[in-house]
Amino acid sequence: MDFRLTQDQIDLREAIRDYLSGEHGPEVLRRLDAEGNRDPSIWDGLVGMGLTGLLVPEAQGGLGMGLVEAVLIAIELGRANVSEPLADTALVAAPLLDEAQQAEVAAGTLKVALGHPINPWIADLDQAGLLYAGGIAKPAPDGGQPLETVDPLRRLFAPRPVAEDDRLLDRAALISAAQLIGAAERMLELATDYAKTREQFGQQIGQFQAIKHHLATVAVKLEFARPVVLRAAFAAQNDHARTPIHVSHAKVAATDAAMLSAETAIQVHGAMGYTYEVDLHFWMKRCWALAGAWGDRAFHQRRIEAAVVDGGMTIGPDMTFESELHHG
Amino acid sequence: MDLTYTTEQQAFRAEVRDWMRANVPAQPLKTLEGREGYDQHVEWERKLASGNWGMVTWPEAYGGRGLDLIRWLIFEEEYWGAGAPLRANQNGIFLLGPTIMEYGTDEQKARFLTPMAKGELMWAQAWSEPNAGSDMAAIRTVAVRDGDHYVITGQKTWSSRASFADWGFGLFRTEPDSKRHKGLSFILFDLNSPGVTRRPIRQLHGEPGFAELFFDEVRVPVANRIAGEGEGWNVAMATAGFERGLMLRSPARFQAMAKRLVELYRQHRDTASPQAREAVLQAWQDAEAYTLNTYSVAATVMAGGHIGAEASLNKIFWSELDRAAHRAAMSLLGAGAELRSLANGSENSWLEGYIFSLSGPIYAGSNEIQRNIIAERLLGLPR
Repeated sequence: MDFRLTQDQIDLREAIRDYLSGEHGPEVLRRLDAEGNRDPSIWDGLVGMGLTGLLVPEAQGGLGMGLVEAVLIAIELGRANVSEPLADTALVAAPLLDEAQQAEVAAGTLKVALGHPINPWIADLDQAGLLYAGGIAKPAPDGGQPLETVDPLRRLFAPRPVAEDDRLLDRAALISAAQLIGAAERMLELATDYAKTREQFGQQIGQFQAIKHHLATVAVKLEFARPVVLRAAFAAQNDHARTPIHVSHAKVAATDAAMLSAETAIQVHGAMGYTYEVDLHFWMKRCWALAGAWGDRAFHQRRIEAAVVDGGMTIGPDMTFESELHHG
Repeated sequence: MDLTYTTEQQAFRAEVRDWMRANVPAQPLKTLEGREGYDQHVEWERKLASGNWGMVTWPEAYGGRGLDLIRWLIFEEEYWGAGAPLRANQNGIFLLGPTIMEYGTDEQKARFLTPMAKGELMWAQAWSEPNAGSDMAAIRTVAVRDGDHYVITGQKTWSSRASFADWGFGLFRTEPDSKRHKGLSFILFDLNSPGVTRRPIRQLHGEPGFAELFFDEVRVPVANRIAGEGEGWNVAMATAGFERGLMLRSPARFQAMAKRLVELYRQHRDTASPQAREAVLQAWQDAEAYTLNTYSVAATVMAGGHIGAEASLNKIFWSELDRAAHRAAMSLLGAGAELRSLANGSENSWLEGYIFSLSGPIYAGSNEIQRNIIAERLLGLPR
């Protein structure tokens, strides 16, 4: 029993954070927003960092890592607001594809869109070579014109698949939760930085307890959401029976932390936060998008209720790591 | 990251479970806040000690078992899972004990820790004064040096467990005319010393859980001071860290409560409001989240890490979770919530628990103080 990341995992996270903070800062978001919201050089950079092969076995040219690492990377993607379809392609779809497809994903030459009836759209269908839905990867159909969405860097298309796929749903919800954690962290940092520089009444606004208490409340929410997401990743990686419940908990906790962080951050920024010129809105809008994607709060709460209240899932102080105890 | 228990850890769980099954009182004890219940709880402490379960993480030399934090969490899971009583000596074992372990002399460790683990001496806290609550540095009660004794004069208030406990610990001003955090010392005293008057304070639930303490030239040996003269503030901050941190409110207690709350929700589902449903689900999730976070912190501490201001995150989380969960229970009980007994004749522990939960966001440093600490020390906002 050791609830710590390994040094390798910490190193991986730091390397990607360094890379993204150098190559994918807010100026990139503003440029993408102004000039069209995809840029092949960003994708090429992510491929160069090996991220498309993160979950692809080494035999197919990947790094052969697992969902715990995928979640760590997804948090970084959320922090940097990366909009390229890396999460869907490499962190969700890749392990579900055949070997030849995996090799292409690792090489960066194949993007995969994800379809599930829980979402009334498919993200990044226009760039995708494959659409993965209902447990099968097929050539991506023409999605027509992109839908209008509040998030300026998201590209959504309309054809709605009908095939259910619980494994896809769980993995995609987990990766969405991780991105929400990253976005929540970043918005807390943006708001904290702003509170240290903005002056009113002759002092930094961060000296006022009203501001401190808002931001501290976000820090608490985040602190107790992170381990829930990591725990869900560990369960999913090991195919534990309780994975859906852990994932639902992760999605709810991450959504709540992100929405609180977003609303707090705009409040702390004051009127500046209500403008388009302050970068905050990119993360805030991504949170609104991800909050509803891959099962909204109500959907995941219902799944938890069905298991915990109706389903006879044993709960209590000795049951936290029950999945692990009776696995394998 | 490895979330599986070792065979040894599982065997330890089985050992705790067997002992608890054989020894936990079949009937719930009366409230710890009243005389009769207090005595029952002290008796339970001694029962625990007879099985060598007083404080499993302490070294064997001081009445413990020398176990690590993972085994501590397992112990707690089995303890609360078995429905075992509250710990009457929590001020001692969870707060003063770790403080003495860190700052005490070998002589003080031998003198105080073993009787604590064995449930022989019960401890009260004596921090607050009428004008020093959240602002603890405003303490005015003086301890004047007279040879190898201090002579204490002044008043403490809201002293937890002081109505019935044997000994107390707190901060006293040992340097006359010193200001704020300076000139304070951390001193232990016998509550039955000549010159100590206890005046029990009736708490919200009607029982005298805490007390006012009046000191009229109370003589206390200098040997009862923990750490150096004038170093009391830092020692007290460490004690407060223990109080907010890992030990005092172990997650298992909230998991056991969440389990009972889910059961209550099943019984009252037909009349439950949507808000109560939401709160029940949230309570279970928050208890799990608190547990996962605690395992994470425990692993960090076992690897040599340190908890500092992070303890404030903890304290806010468990205190607000506790209050929200009990509020949900009160809502589920509807018109029956105000009654002291439930329909089946048992004590309405949800009502007692709700009342107690209202103290959580206040004691151990109010949650407003905790938010200041988080903002200034974790987020780096200016003072």
